[in-house]
Amino acid sequence: MNLSLLRNSLRIRLLVGTLFWIVISILVAGWGLGQLFHQHVEAQFDAELKNHLDQLTAQLILDEQNQAQVRLLPSDPRLNKPLSGLYWQIDRIAAAGDHPVKAVLRSRSLWDETLAVPADTPADGEIHQHRIEGPQGVTLKIVERTVTIDTHSLRLMVAANESLMTGPIADFKGHLWLALGILGMGLTFAASMQVFVGLAPLRSMQDALGRVRQGDARNMEGIFPNEIMPLVNEFNTVLAQNAEVVERARTQAGNLAHALKTPLSVLANAANAPEKRDDDLARLVASQVDTVRKQVDYHLSRAQAAAAVKVPGMRTAVEPVIRGLVRVMQRVHADRQLEFVVLPDPANLAFRGEEQDLQEMLGNLIDNASKWARSRIEIQVSDESGKLRVRIDDDGKGIAETERDHVLKRGVRADEQVPGTGLGLAITADLARMYGGDLVLAKSSLGGLRASLTLPAV
Amino acid sequence: MRILVVEDELTLAAQLVEGIQSVGYVVDVAHNGVDGHFMGETEPYDAIVLDIGLPQMDGITVLKKWRAAGRTLPVLILTARDTWREKVAGIDAGADDYLTKPFHMEELLARLRALIRRAGGHASTELVCGPLTLDTRSSRASVDGTALTLTSHEYRVLAYLMHHPGEIVSRAELTEHIYAQDFDRDSNTVEVFIARLRKKLPPGLIETVRGLGYRLNKAP
Repeated sequence: MNLSLLRNSLRIRLLVGTLFWIVISILVAGWGLGQLFHQHVEAQFDAELKNHLDQLTAQLILDEQNQAQVRLLPSDPRLNKPLSGLYWQIDRIAAAGDHPVKAVLRSRSLWDETLAVPADTPADGEIHQHRIEGPQGVTLKIVERTVTIDTHSLRLMVAANESLMTGPIADFKGHLWLALGILGMGLTFAASMQVFVGLAPLRSMQDALGRVRQGDARNMEGIFPNEIMPLVNEFNTVLAQNAEVVERARTQAGNLAHALKTPLSVLANAANAPEKRDDDLARLVASQVDTVRKQVDYHLSRAQAAAAVKVPGMRTAVEPVIRGLVRVMQRVHADRQLEFVVLPDPANLAFRGEEQDLQEMLGNLIDNASKWARSRIEIQVSDESGKLRVRIDDDGKGIAETERDHVLKRGVRADEQVPGTGLGLAITADLARMYGGDLVLAKSSLGGLRASLTLPAV
Repeated sequence: MRILVVEDELTLAAQLVEGIQSVGYVVDVAHNGVDGHFMGETEPYDAIVLDIGLPQMDGITVLKKWRAAGRTLPVLILTARDTWREKVAGIDAGADDYLTKPFHMEELLARLRALIRRAGGHASTELVCGPLTLDTRSSRASVDGTALTLTSHEYRVLAYLMHHPGEIVSRAELTEHIYAQDFDRDSNTVEVFIARLRKKLPPGLIETVRGLGYRLNKAP
């Protein structure tokens, strides 16, 4: 048995323990029952032999010539059947002028064999037992007693084939082990069932956890046994805390954005007022306000995503997010007659992550495409070997190959003064990387820019 | 053109009012969601600039209420949070455009102009009606290429008529669109502005429809 297997599997642990006890119990029971039956059969066998001996003794008389006679032969038919295995024999013992004679009388079953008993003279009333070799070399069990009538001593003996006793015992033991074997198999099956049923809650816990991981469930659902429930509750608490951390990060980021940006608007408007156009201070304020805005946007979006990336069980359907963003673009660019094509139907594709992060990434890309497109934007969502791929094409003027990397790395560099462009792409690339995906810019077949966003799928 | 600004930050609200007035629009201002909602529902504005983060009633709710009540006027929302979730929520609530704080006043004015133009079904920044041309970007009007010298009230009356060419515009409607809410209105002054405009324009362009109001004709 591989010890690490034993250590690693609760099921094997339980099964091995149970099987050990089943085997021990069956061995002990088999041996014990065998012994008991053996003793029982042997006692009965001995009793039968004694019974025959008693009958023989009771019917023994001496005739006028002082010859031993049996008035009524024992009735057991086996005693009349030659070499049946059950025999009796009467010897005369030398005493008071008698000379010993072997087998003065014997059962017909002995035919012309004699029972060769070892020399022994049991006292009157005593019964002695021997095992001897009998006809055809079989082992016989023999009981004998000495009977003295007047002065004549006779030795009465009854013998039986030992196989008459051991045969049934062997038979019984065969049946016994068969029965115990079946019992053992039944118990093993029952034990496996018990382990299976007993560990079922662990399996359903695993399933519940799987659903959380897949993002199908917000927390572990279901009723579990008292022994497991605390674990499940504890885990759900951790999940809830994680979700709360994300929500708190979002709220704080939102509040910070709100708190910062309204004053920034005031500053920017004051600095950009027509009468301040030529004021150096006003220009400095205006440019710094722009930098601050970018820093705030960039770092807040990162901070929010950083909290969300670590939370398991996030799942966001892609289609509603795209549809919402396209609605925004169609409304905002209503006078430009832009055509948005979403292909193919991304109905059941989902992103393994937080909704707002997906919204930010796709929002920046679709917004960028809408800004530059002449008339057509194509959004293609696909599942590529377990990864979610969103490709956004536009028919605008595109970005020169040499500029593409620069645009993605632009980040929050203070010297960037082009309003509203670039930063969105850099933020998107950053968010994608935090989720273990990437953003690649290329030339679109429509003529403009192709942004390919790869993200973990559910 | 009459604009409502709903913004709770007083300095920013004042800057917005000043900026929007500088291009010839009339501006009313509200500093919380409840007042803003009431004014937007009762006064005939041509466009509304609505902040989302408002006290008492948030901007999204205000906007939804206007749209539910059948108000179709263009609304530009201002968002500080700059998340797409908020923008999607704003557009789905019925906004026509959004602007993220901090913004450049020129950008806001351009968006506002575009919204008003779009609402009137005009595709260009220049409105043309017969010999008359109105450049909404520079707030200037000209006849056959000759620039007109107009007072701000005269400009507002002409601009409103130019946004609704061929339609009968009542005196009351004109009054509502050229004066702010708290202004002491007198519809007779509209007649004064019309009379002055007629002197500066080729004859027959502004027609009086008796008992109903005025109409700007495409040809004299």
